[in-house]
Amino acid sequence: MEGEMLKGHLDMIVLAALSAAGSAHGYAIIEEIKRRSGGAFDLPEGTIYPALHRLEQAGLLSSRWMTADSGRRRRVYTLTRTGNRALAERRAVWKQFSDAIGGLLGATRPRENPA
Amino acid sequence: MIPDYLDRLARELDFDSSLSRRVRQEVEDHLWEAVAAHSTENMLEAQQRAIAGFGDARVIAAQFAVVSLAKYSKRAGVAAVMVIAGVFMVMKARIAWYTAMQWAISDDLKAIGGLVVQIDRYSFWLSLIVALGGWAYIRSRRIPAALHPAYRRQLRRFFLLCSTAAAALVVSVISDAVLTALQLPGKELSAEFLVPIVSIVVEIACVGILVFHIRGVALRAASTALLSA
Repeated sequence: MEGEMLKGHLDMIVLAALSAAGSAHGYAIIEEIKRRSGGAFDLPEGTIYPALHRLEQAGLLSSRWMTADSGRRRRVYTLTRTGNRALAERRAVWKQFSDAIGGLLGATRPRENPA
Repeated sequence: MIPDYLDRLARELDFDSSLSRRVRQEVEDHLWEAVAAHSTENMLEAQQRAIAGFGDARVIAAQFAVVSLAKYSKRAGVAAVMVIAGVFMVMKARIAWYTAMQWAISDDLKAIGGLVVQIDRYSFWLSLIVALGGWAYIRSRRIPAALHPAYRRQLRRFFLLCSTAAAALVVSVISDAVLTALQLPGKELSAEFLVPIVSIVVEIACVGILVFHIRGVALRAASTALLSA
């Protein structure tokens, strides 16, 4: 899928993946996105992290450090109540948009020749 | 290979040391986990694959820099309002001190004192209103994914508002210093003078804090623009 098209919806994609995964760290969120999209989203993985920071700044996510089994420190993100609300709103808008586009494309018929 | 990549990424973000540290730790965890996921491969190849999948360090750093810039700008907006509120409290405390000490400007300096008080009042309220406007403006902006032209314009407006507030506050603090100086003639220097003098020093320090924050926004904006170029 086109990178630019994806970037426009990156926040919604991250929120949806985190909502499905529950609390998760960056790598797990990326894996969740890959799994749920059937590998269709091909963004540089690093792009997810600035998005996570941005969403945290906006109050849609919270995060905390924890220690992984490997002993490495890991930042784990969780959707906040505001984040859940924002995701519900974006889902509704997306559904409306997708229905409208679907209707438009489905209704396309070849133009009749006036002659 | 991974440590080199992490060094490069952290170096690009060294204008924000706490962000640089946090990003380094998060990315380090990600990359080693990606390597572990391909443990059947040669170690070097697995590291190469993990880094390639993560993306160019400079491009990723530019995206982090925008978030840092937005965060710092919002903080500067809050700082501007807090600093001006601080100057207001110091000003009021000094006036209360003058009243308690029954100090007043001598009759021959009253005319000039009245003019300075007007300048002080208008410049102070101008700084407060503009700073509140700047804070409300930057607070309502969404944090973009990249430093696009629209966000640059928004930052420029915020910078202009903060600079105007700072300039008006400087005029107000200078007026306060003049008013304090006008109290001095005809009085013997004593320990009581320390209170107004210290209050003026505190006001000057407040202006310094505001200028420091505005400068911080400008420096971060320049670093982010450089990374995004």
